[in-house]
Amino acid sequence: MKGTAVEGVAVLTGWGQGIQALPADASRAAAGRAVIPLARPALEGERFRRATRECLLGVAAVDALLRENHISREAVKGSATALIYVTAGAYGASNHAWVAADTARPAKPDDRPSERRRGAVSGTLHFPYTAPSVMSGEVAIEFGLTGPYGILIGGAAATIDGLWQATLLLEAGRCERALVLAVETFEDCAELYARARWLVRRPLVEAAACVLLTPGALRTRYDAPRAASPLEARVRARAGETLACAPLVALALAREDGATGPIGVTGEWRGRRAGLYWY
Amino acid sequence: MTPFGADLDAFWSGLVTGSDGISTIERFPVDDLRVGRGGEIKKLRPLPGARRVGCRATQLLFAAAEDLLARSAISAEPERIAVVLGTALGGVEGLERALAPGGRPRDAVDALYDSPAHALARRLGARGPVMTVGAACAAGATALGTGADLLRADVVDVVIAGGYDALCRFVMRGFDALRSLTRERVRPFDKRRSGLLLGEAAALVLMTREGATPGPRLGRLLGHASASDGSHIAAPDANGRGLELAARTALDEAGLTPADVEFVSAHGTGTLVNDRIEADVLRRVLGRRAAEIPVNSIKASVGHTMGAAAALEAVMCLMAGREGIVPKTLGLEEPDPACELDHVIGAPRAVRPRISLSTSLGFGGCNAALVLEAAAQ
Repeated sequence: MKGTAVEGVAVLTGWGQGIQALPADASRAAAGRAVIPLARPALEGERFRRATRECLLGVAAVDALLRENHISREAVKGSATALIYVTAGAYGASNHAWVAADTARPAKPDDRPSERRRGAVSGTLHFPYTAPSVMSGEVAIEFGLTGPYGILIGGAAATIDGLWQATLLLEAGRCERALVLAVETFEDCAELYARARWLVRRPLVEAAACVLLTPGALRTRYDAPRAASPLEARVRARAGETLACAPLVALALAREDGATGPIGVTGEWRGRRAGLYWY
Repeated sequence: MTPFGADLDAFWSGLVTGSDGISTIERFPVDDLRVGRGGEIKKLRPLPGARRVGCRATQLLFAAAEDLLARSAISAEPERIAVVLGTALGGVEGLERALAPGGRPRDAVDALYDSPAHALARRLGARGPVMTVGAACAAGATALGTGADLLRADVVDVVIAGGYDALCRFVMRGFDALRSLTRERVRPFDKRRSGLLLGEAAALVLMTREGATPGPRLGRLLGHASASDGSHIAAPDANGRGLELAARTALDEAGLTPADVEFVSAHGTGTLVNDRIEADVLRRVLGRRAAEIPVNSIKASVGHTMGAAAALEAVMCLMAGREGIVPKTLGLEEPDPACELDHVIGAPRAVRPRISLSTSLGFGGCNAALVLEAAAQ
């Protein structure tokens, strides 16, 4: 059986682009802010006019990965590239807007922007964006990805599951490369996250991260460790709570450390911890 | 758990007798919508031992689990039991409650799409991987495939896999806005087809490695595959390229060819575009044999049950092999020449398909296919 390799990682967070933008201590850097938001990427094109911010963040993360690793779009286009998408709650913003629109009254000229926004999301074109699969669908359309996909809902443990699925696809020869993409947004549902403090820690840091896996020399082991890896703890300290993005940020940190050989990432969500080790 | 009733027998009997599970939706307001009908489950029994069952989606899953446990014993260490579920909506109805005046914080947590899977894992005492596949209406198929991967890789010994979705105003409004819902009856592959109707259901299967569990089994999952269209967020690729790739890859993984396929459970939503594209794909994949392989769709019977659909259809394939009968496509009376296939029309067909192909599509350009083998009789 073939092994795999981590070919590249790209990270966008509310702190900025790349892991060099991460503060040494996210809690201190947050200075009491509950959410560190990521701006809506300024992507051009009619197709992106109605696309949600989380869709654009996914596209921006893959674009950053390709740019930073000098990979052309043509190289990933087609059915030989798998796309695995993971999120715990990036669909929350579009779901929230769709539900809120149901209770909206007709707009008045003196409405506040939030009231006007409700009316704006009640139409035909907005409902599909409530589906998590549409986020990865937008990425697939943008980069011409027509290979196997995986769409997993959950936090960091789900991303470990997604990385494992990607290695399975590569090892089985079902694809030649696999993109594992995670996106998390919080700002639009900040008041709901504020009421679920037992589930998520602070600060909540919006993020989009992408890893490219290719066939390589390293085997993998997928298991359920009891404790967090040192990388998991470092990501939490430096980036804050990035949910599904955390294991991908961990891989970026490991690469920054110069790791080219064995590496292990872990992730926890809802009391379950999963780990993936390249050895 | 389907609009036909709370167990597998009710589901199968409803399909074979040609029952119609579609009714006027009563559980939430629909009077402002163009279409207010669907496959609504009218009765949900109170569940013994469930201290606090969250959203309706979780209730459906718990009810399906009751039926599963009555039929099959789960015998494995808790850490070696996984739960893998597909869904299009998760517990989104919780968000409607959380945002309503006086909404409770707990309801917002229910609204996370993976909440029902974690609730089911807790109820079953499963401490292995808990995965939620969010591949819209193809999610149930991908969940079964992921379950097979977990077993093949020896990560766990038992997987509770399947799919679910509950009807709620959130999704009814959405499909109503898309004008995808028909005011008539659902007619998959028919000349007069005019759209789909939604339904709610939960379907669970217990998966183990070959030979690991004594006792009767329904069959085997021989192959599975997925492929993205990369063409449109809410409509299938005009040429069905993703679905074709998924179907061919699943057959390949099963080590089979189209010549081995004896039955096709189609996605068959009853929309103009889906059915034509799907029929084209099936003719391309099956070649000359397309004219002689029975094809059905159960979406007119129970509605399009979204995340549950592919899991229900996989169970139907295996039941057809066990019982020696293929349910008809309810609502199909005059096949559209553009959808020409060997449709099961008018009455169930007395055949015993051993190898089945099941196809699914979903928002975001998701396509999935399963190849199943019914247990020998």
